[in-house]
Amino acid sequence: MAIEGLQQAREEFEAVLAAAGSDAARIEEVRVRFAGRRSGLLRDLEDHLKTLPRDEKPAYGKALNELKRLVEERLAAAAEAASKAAAGERLDVTLPGRRPPVGSLHPVTLVRREIEEIFLRMGYSVADGPEVEDDWHNFEALNMPPDHPARDAQDTFYIPGGWLLRTHTSPVQIHTMEGQQPPIRVIIPGRVYRRDSDLRHSPMFHQVEGLVVDEGITFGHLKATLEAFVHVLFDPSLEVRFRPSFFPFTEPSAEVDITCVLCLGKGCGMCSGSGWIEILGSGMVDPRVFRACGVDPARYTGFAFGCGLDRVAVLKYRLPDLRMLFGGDERFLRQLGLGVKA
Amino acid sequence: MKISLAWLRDHLAGDTPAEELARCLTKVGMNVELREAVGNDESWDVDVTSNRPDALNHRGLAREAVAAGCGTLRPLEASLAESPIAAADLARLEVVDTAGCPRYCARVIRGVRVGPSPVWLAERLAACGVRPINNVVDATNYVLLDVGHPLHAFDLRFLAGSTVRVRKAAAGERMTTLDGVERELVPDDVVIADAEKAVALAGIMGGADSEIRDDTTDVLLESAYFDPLAVRRTARRLGLVTEASHRFERGADRTMARQAVDLAAELIVRLAGGEVARGVLDSAPMLPPARQIELDPEQLCTFAGCEIPPSFVLRVLAALGCDPRPGSDGMRCSVPSWRVDLELPQDLYEEVLRHWGFDRVPSVLPEAATAPGKRLGTWPVTDQARDALVHTGLAEAVTYSFITSELDAATAGSPLADRGAAVLLDNPLSARMAVMRRSLLGGLAEAAAGNLRRGAERVLLGEVGRVFFGTGQRPREEERLAVAMAGRQGGWDRSAETDFLDLKGTLEAVLEPLGIEALSWRPTDAPVLAVGSGAGVFAGDQLVGIAGRLAESVSSLVDCPQALWVAEIDLGHVGARTVPTVRPLPRFPAVVADLTVRHARAVAYAELVAAVRAAAPDWLEAVQPVVQFKGAGVAADEVKTTLRLVYRLAERSLTQDEVNAAHFALMEELGRRLPVSFQ
Repeated sequence: MAIEGLQQAREEFEAVLAAAGSDAARIEEVRVRFAGRRSGLLRDLEDHLKTLPRDEKPAYGKALNELKRLVEERLAAAAEAASKAAAGERLDVTLPGRRPPVGSLHPVTLVRREIEEIFLRMGYSVADGPEVEDDWHNFEALNMPPDHPARDAQDTFYIPGGWLLRTHTSPVQIHTMEGQQPPIRVIIPGRVYRRDSDLRHSPMFHQVEGLVVDEGITFGHLKATLEAFVHVLFDPSLEVRFRPSFFPFTEPSAEVDITCVLCLGKGCGMCSGSGWIEILGSGMVDPRVFRACGVDPARYTGFAFGCGLDRVAVLKYRLPDLRMLFGGDERFLRQLGLGVKA
Repeated sequence: MKISLAWLRDHLAGDTPAEELARCLTKVGMNVELREAVGNDESWDVDVTSNRPDALNHRGLAREAVAAGCGTLRPLEASLAESPIAAADLARLEVVDTAGCPRYCARVIRGVRVGPSPVWLAERLAACGVRPINNVVDATNYVLLDVGHPLHAFDLRFLAGSTVRVRKAAAGERMTTLDGVERELVPDDVVIADAEKAVALAGIMGGADSEIRDDTTDVLLESAYFDPLAVRRTARRLGLVTEASHRFERGADRTMARQAVDLAAELIVRLAGGEVARGVLDSAPMLPPARQIELDPEQLCTFAGCEIPPSFVLRVLAALGCDPRPGSDGMRCSVPSWRVDLELPQDLYEEVLRHWGFDRVPSVLPEAATAPGKRLGTWPVTDQARDALVHTGLAEAVTYSFITSELDAATAGSPLADRGAAVLLDNPLSARMAVMRRSLLGGLAEAAAGNLRRGAERVLLGEVGRVFFGTGQRPREEERLAVAMAGRQGGWDRSAETDFLDLKGTLEAVLEPLGIEALSWRPTDAPVLAVGSGAGVFAGDQLVGIAGRLAESVSSLVDCPQALWVAEIDLGHVGARTVPTVRPLPRFPAVVADLTVRHARAVAYAELVAAVRAAAPDWLEAVQPVVQFKGAGVAADEVKTTLRLVYRLAERSLTQDEVNAAHFALMEELGRRLPVSFQ
């Protein structure tokens, strides 16, 4: 019974002290009530010890000493806190925190993954191919025989031994069709090279290519697929238009424009005042390409498309200069953060 | 290509508004990019794709406009009065190289008076960006822009033997072109020669000797068809692209050669007087038959994905000059001589579709694929590596695949970079981009140095990309990962200079999720790293990477103002992705005991830990470093290492006595294995 009384006293003390908060006067009241020399509760409990039978004294005494120490410590701590509060002492919570470094994916990686996710969801695989190519895969099989004028538009880096740096991701179309029969649904992101350098061109850049081959693929399929793609990538409200164009490996070929993402069609510097921005090249696979890869053009049709990942990054993140992408400036790289979506 | 609106209208009957004309041309793929008012006329910039040389002139574009529904095409007529004297009596034509020049037509005009062109002609040429020269030359340029056929006028006086001979150039033969440049020819070049010497580069540019001058009176007018490849080869070799070569290399119209010479002769007489000699010198008046293409309108609709009425198909193909004739099983079309690009039925699908309008084809998604897509090739590995980089706080950089040969040489001193010869570009853009990288370190060090020079207090960069090795066969490509760290790491008030352990810890955190297992770190003397501060990273016995402080030779080359810690890993060793399984958590508490060991610096930490493990019971769960001390009270060649030993039994709690006994036994055993002393 006696020891339980000590426990009760302790609970009471803690409750009363907590209620006193950092008010010095109230803490003093608590002190007098529990630890006062003349009439404090501890004093009463000590007196009670003397009345106990001999065999109960050691346990009670030990518990009482613990309680006394606790009360002293708590009172001292409370008094100190009260005096600090009175002096207005606080943490400066406005000091900058110590941040752990947070990594950031490159803008081209962010854009590439976003595009991959869109097409993976539509059942496309993501393929890969060499950056050093031979003439057959980069040009000839794509209906660009030697001395074809279309090669002028793709100024090429050559490597001794008849190799070259691929000028587009399209050679992976050829590798894919050489390696499997339709149905084919694949996109091919990757690094490409052209001998060209200015504000809008880098000698190294990135493309993503798409290829769909199956029985009964139509031009309407091409249109719907690319509309769905740019609507997810940019904004469903953007208009999409298909303009006849020419690529040696597709026929018909279409350039795909979207409403300028900057001025929303009003006309600005980015779109040269036209209100439209060219975003994709596309077309129905030329039967000559099918033949070069051993795919039967009488049975299969298909469509292909390609776009510049760097250009999408420029449009999406409003980069002032394409070449920023390859300078490794951390002030720039860390702006877009980890996996940021637009 | 720049055109004049008034000139375009010359070929069009009907009064389609300019706005509508521009819209129609753009719709069918002749993109009108710019319209500018020039006097009462407009100058348009039209983007003509490289497969359509037939549209590089006003008549060709008018034909497209008509097919797109803008009016009708006016007939092309030349009314030429010939003099009784025969051209054949005034000049001789001989085509030796019939492959290089399948057709050559020429007319002779005598008694012209060379002078400036009239204002209307000069203005039209100017609207098209062509500088007026004199009435004879301007007449040939006018016909070029009018109907697309390149012509050339020679001063007949300067053709030796009044002869035109089309032949291959002789080895070492030289001639001076109109632009005043003396050119050395090779036997592949097709030239127009007289009885003695070359006087023009076929299809590219005339010679200075025989050009039209102020006192020229007799003119030989050339209108030929040259082989596209021959023209292209010579033009490219000489770096000489002209209005003529641009068209010939894409494919000119063999039939038009004959008509163009009449149009030009008529215009010259109108502008400069003189009379046209009777007859045309024509090397090949017989024309090859027109190509025939069978078009199945039903297949066309299947291909398009919508219904296109046969009447529309007929109208468009007729307007384009394909002469479609419906038969029982389709439509037979004759390809006009100006359409070098039409061969297959799909070529005609394109014609019909672009005129029908891409916007009128309904968009329908293809049926869904039945199998889920997946990432193939090296994508799963490289993307996992990128994630691992950014999860440790690095910023992903992308640097150029090509570097300077100096940087390549400086970074070649690495077991990862000397796996093959460097791949050099034949035609680099500049010396800064001359060699394909064999290591990511050069480019990443350059990027890191740039950040430090701009005043960055800290650099944390990573890159994943390919390196290239020459092999004699197809160059080999390897996927790599690299890290560069410098400056102060840590919070703003608790930071410290980057050192090896920062780099190593980062790299360990990057490599762990990549499944490169059994990592060990051994000192290396790779010259790309500073002496005594580099490590080889091994998976088992296989070297997978290097890490350490970048050597002065490289860091001075990239102008790096302070120490740079770098690492490169060969991603070819990344393990197959496995699903991790969870280890049960311990049910009984561990007992921890610290052990301070004084030992020679020559004894590496890994060696010490290995000896501790060997000396310990198998219920020693972990050995962790606590602190390492060198300096006061410790001999110069010694170090004091405090280790925390964690003892635990899986099946019950340990007693302090058990642990004490094991710990002392361990110390005794350790003392036998290594020359160490204890505190």
